[in-house]
Amino acid sequence: MANTIIGSSIVIDGEISGDEDLVIQGTVKGKISLKESLFVEASGVVEADIDTQNVEIAGRVTGNIAASDKVELKSDCRVVGDIKAPRILIADGASFKGNVDMDVKER
Amino acid sequence: MASEQINIIGRGITIRGSLSGGGDLVIEGRVEGQVALKNHLTIEQSGTVEADIKADELTINGEASGNIEANTRVAINNTAKVQGDIKSQRVVIEDGAVFNGSIEMDVKLPDDV
Repeated sequence: MANTIIGSSIVIDGEISGDEDLVIQGTVKGKISLKESLFVEASGVVEADIDTQNVEIAGRVTGNIAASDKVELKSDCRVVGDIKAPRILIADGASFKGNVDMDVKER
Repeated sequence: MASEQINIIGRGITIRGSLSGGGDLVIEGRVEGQVALKNHLTIEQSGTVEADIKADELTINGEASGNIEANTRVAINNTAKVQGDIKSQRVVIEDGAVFNGSIEMDVKLPDDV
């Protein structure tokens, strides 16, 4: 299946939705809602509310994040916003400011 | 990853809003709004674009509706369905392609016409 890649020279202002993996190396402002995984790479800048299954962030994200499975903040990422997910991983070296809400009632 | 960037909007993805930048872009999914690209834009057969498009070069194999402005060339291939006005230096429409709209090529008319 073709993976969607938004390269570092691309700027999107608006809403992205879909049911496949999305890799962001560029800039996205607005809203992202996916049924699969979102990867914000080191060059990626996201100013958007995110609603997905999985998120892996190595770049910069400003906005609220809601994931149905997992949120992973890699080292050197910068994230500002609230995170809501059953599994949240924050690597050593990551910068994060916001609330964390782990929904543990499923267990 | 070199400077030769290829950006892909996959089949399962919908973008509503404006999309701009450099690098080549391939759309296999759906884009509504505006597209402004410095390089080559390809709309694949599965792709649907409802947007005003500005690009250097444009290849359409899928569906496009909206006004199109390309610096060098617009190619409408045989699987394409296009609705809108096209402004470009060179426009190619293949046999089998569906197109409705106007075409404006930069034609230099002689002064006495």
